Amino acid sequence: MSDAPSPWKSFQAKKEAYLAYARPWEKKVGSFLTFRPEAPSSAGSGPSGARPLEGLPFGVKDNIAVRDFPLTCGSKMLADLVSPYDATVVARAKAAGASVIGKTNLDEFGMGSSTENSALGKTSNPWDQSRVAGGSSGGSAAAVAAGLVPFAFGTDTGGSVRQPAGFCGVYGFKPTYGVLSRYGLTAYASSLETPGILAKDLGLVKTVFDAVKGRDPHDQTSLDPESQPVRPVKTIAVLADLADLDPGVKAVYEQTLVHLKALGYTLVPVTLPTLEYAVPAYYTIATAEASANLARFNGIRYGHRPVYAENPEHLVRQSRTAGFGNEVKTRIMLGTYVLRSGFQDQFYTKAQKVRTLISNDLQKVFDQADLLLTPTFPVPAFVHGDKTMTEFQQKLADKFTVTANLAGVPALSFPAGLAGGLPVGMQFTAPAFCEARLFEAAAAFATRVPVADCPGTSLDWSK
Amino acid sequence: MYQTVVGLEIHIHLNTKSKAFCSCLAEFGDEPNTNVCPVCLGYPGVLPVLNEEALTQGYTVARALGCNLSQRTLFDRKNYFYPDMPKNYQITQFHDPVGRDGKIEFQAHDGTIKTIRIHDVHLEEDAGKMIHAGDMSLCDYNRAGYSLLEVVTEPDLTSGEDAEAFLLSFQRLVRYLGVSDGNMDEGSMKCDTNVSIRKAGEPLGTKVEIKNLNSTRFIKKAIEFETKRQATALETNQRIVQETRLWNENRDVTESMRSKEGSLDYRYFPEPDIPPFLPDAAFWAAVESRQVELPLARKHRLTAAFGLSREQGDFVAESRFMADFFEQAAKESGNGLAVANWLMGDVQKELNHFNLSLEASPLTPFRLAQLQKLLDSGRIHIKIAKQLLDAVFEQNKDPEVVMREKGLEAITTEEQLSPIVDKVFEAHATVVEAIKAGDARQKGFLVGQVMKATDGRAAPALVNSLLAKRLG
Amino acid sequence: MDIGELETTAALAQIDLGEGDLARLGDAVSQMLAYFEKMNALDTEGLQPTTHALVKDNRVRPDIVEPSALADDLVDRAPEREDRFFVIPNVL
Repeated sequence: MSDAPSPWKSFQAKKEAYLAYARPWEKKVGSFLTFRPEAPSSAGSGPSGARPLEGLPFGVKDNIAVRDFPLTCGSKMLADLVSPYDATVVARAKAAGASVIGKTNLDEFGMGSSTENSALGKTSNPWDQSRVAGGSSGGSAAAVAAGLVPFAFGTDTGGSVRQPAGFCGVYGFKPTYGVLSRYGLTAYASSLETPGILAKDLGLVKTVFDAVKGRDPHDQTSLDPESQPVRPVKTIAVLADLADLDPGVKAVYEQTLVHLKALGYTLVPVTLPTLEYAVPAYYTIATAEASANLARFNGIRYGHRPVYAENPEHLVRQSRTAGFGNEVKTRIMLGTYVLRSGFQDQFYTKAQKVRTLISNDLQKVFDQADLLLTPTFPVPAFVHGDKTMTEFQQKLADKFTVTANLAGVPALSFPAGLAGGLPVGMQFTAPAFCEARLFEAAAAFATRVPVADCPGTSLDWSK
Repeated sequence: MYQTVVGLEIHIHLNTKSKAFCSCLAEFGDEPNTNVCPVCLGYPGVLPVLNEEALTQGYTVARALGCNLSQRTLFDRKNYFYPDMPKNYQITQFHDPVGRDGKIEFQAHDGTIKTIRIHDVHLEEDAGKMIHAGDMSLCDYNRAGYSLLEVVTEPDLTSGEDAEAFLLSFQRLVRYLGVSDGNMDEGSMKCDTNVSIRKAGEPLGTKVEIKNLNSTRFIKKAIEFETKRQATALETNQRIVQETRLWNENRDVTESMRSKEGSLDYRYFPEPDIPPFLPDAAFWAAVESRQVELPLARKHRLTAAFGLSREQGDFVAESRFMADFFEQAAKESGNGLAVANWLMGDVQKELNHFNLSLEASPLTPFRLAQLQKLLDSGRIHIKIAKQLLDAVFEQNKDPEVVMREKGLEAITTEEQLSPIVDKVFEAHATVVEAIKAGDARQKGFLVGQVMKATDGRAAPALVNSLLAKRLG
Repeated sequence: MDIGELETTAALAQIDLGEGDLARLGDAVSQMLAYFEKMNALDTEGLQPTTHALVKDNRVRPDIVEPSALADDLVDRAPEREDRFFVIPNVL
């Protein structure tokens, strides 16, 4: 794997050329809610030997805190909030020499698969601006694919890094739960989510990961990576029956199998009998946690404040009613309901048990193979406002990605080819702490199918 | 006749330097919103970071209350909206509290020893404070996130007097353990009270919760008021409503708090941000090392060992400092009864006079024991002893040092006393002659003169025997 | 979910639902709940619920005070304040 790509090292020196390239692109795709390439955040002051990201600009999803940058979460609720602190992953990336140039668009509070649930901006897919960039980390994926940043942080609660990465033809990496600190990530579903990394260069994904990973005193659920015995990946599990795939995605999936075989991997057909329960279990748990996590937004200490309120409850209700969008309200209502006494056992507790079952199921797969391969999402990027892809159907389509969040294991969406001119992502899932396997197999795959550049993007400005 | 049934929910602020889930200073009475950070103000993205000391203190109390201690303790979120609670959920313990099913003895109002069962002991965080000022309320979050411990008793108390006695004994317990100052007037101990009544042998009646009780006296009064109110209601065929009532300390009555019935559903679920805690050997050892002899046991032991009265026992066991002080001085001097008398009498007078606490005073167990030993060995008498105690407070010196410096030691040998007697005999030759001639009535005059000449330091027995010898 | 349950839930969540919201959110919530019931087909007897994703060891922090350098900054962000207090309306 290569080191950080050299063209980006001249970012500061070639600022004018960069801006001339970036501005029109940003205008087309709308990946950022805040874009400050002229005045990026200062990089940290770690020792130069320990500055593997020296000189690199990066983007940060706008639900991750960057000191003195807005932290809107794509919501009217927080449209005016400026973060007083840095998230741990951001602080560590800065210490490694990188600087933030903007905050990327997202579905409000990370709730969605298209970035169309952002209350503050519209993001389009750089490959086809009539289409969405995916979500919820759609802005991060679009910024990377359009060549506006070499890497960006996203957050992945149920696929929110991997799915937009797949839609935009870049790598989207979700590590083992806890290995990247959640401190500074605006909580949506605490037990499921993690920061993730998006980049077009696989080596850079790994470099960024190594620079920011590990235990954090501000996050008691954070973990040090475990060193796993290094052994080459030999076997890859594939699902015996894959229904409901878009024909384009299916075609890329089948070509992927051919390439993997050609690379010498043994494909092991497996079944995941609990796969069809992953989405209901995921949404039950995610919305339950969200209902509590989003309770803090009440307009008293910060955030959207109604013009007039006659009493405290009125103030809080007006703040929340006006500050949250429909999808967020729907999820808060769902989550509140599944925790209510009388319903909690039937929904929330049941889902947590199903979660145990799904983890056990996945463990059985990893008893038979080193990695699991699935498509990242059943369809390629859909068009803005697509009525065939309702909110409900978008949720059902999360079935390949949510399993990794429920089990807390790492997964990587990699660009596997094009279908009808649109990128299609495939996903490797590995056992906990076995990130190395993901990188190894994806790097091998890239020797046969190099990552395609989005038409019209280039790094010529850096010359 | 009705029986009163009382259960208590006691909250104490733990003695942690920092808050329960962030590193902000946990201190009372600072400028508003100075001890706040993104965590305790509920900013987006921050996470609770559990303070180990709060856990240790929580387990220490649960252990002292004889609870089954949790081998795997977990936090939960209790969901409800209130402006003083920044996250609009409270981190507490619902499913796996640090301890359950304990019991503890206390001395009831009538002096008998009773046992109260403990339902559970759990850790949680406090909320901020609101000050109502006209058409606005002012929120101060300095207190938000303080470590709180809640102790829930079973409904085992049967009167306001016993509830007060139990609370005072619980207050002593947490002070002995060093986990809280237990001051109700400063809000570091609070108590909600559940009261119901029933006829003997009948099942438990409908309970009423009383809040806003900030002294043990109010708790006693509120229980007594509530017993009468509920009895009157039953006598007049009214139903007792399960509700929360507030104590009105100006009117000495409980008043119904208008509640939004049915709107409370706390939706407890495990706090995903804090992993479960499984005490290890080192943790258990720390909890064990913090156990102390509990106040009641200590009182019983000291009373028996030193032959104290009930009143003296209560006095010396009131605080751990006093008990340690007493026990050390009693052992050192070999006269516990006298030490207890000193502590309850002259020492209290001196403390009041100098406006000092025993902790802050120059009196030490060593000094008090020394004073009593001087007295018991006859080197001083009681009058001198009181002078020396005063001198300890005035000069911060050992009693024996003061005694030497001022020459206050008793005259106990003939060699010392003879020359003084000689002088008295010389000065009062006619009296001496009269006595020798048989007028025994005047002997007392001579004794008085010798005592006067020695500033009262002469041992009376020695004076008597020497005079008898000289006068033949 | 019937209107009553929806309103109770909205009250717990402190969200006001207008007429249109009631219908739209009601449909969306009901559709998801019906879908959640799919889980009932699975036998989960005897399984422990997963409450935390990956748990390794005890995590606690020592009781050390770090005075918040951000207190003034945070007070400045209040939508409405009086001196150092956050202000909300009071019921008279």
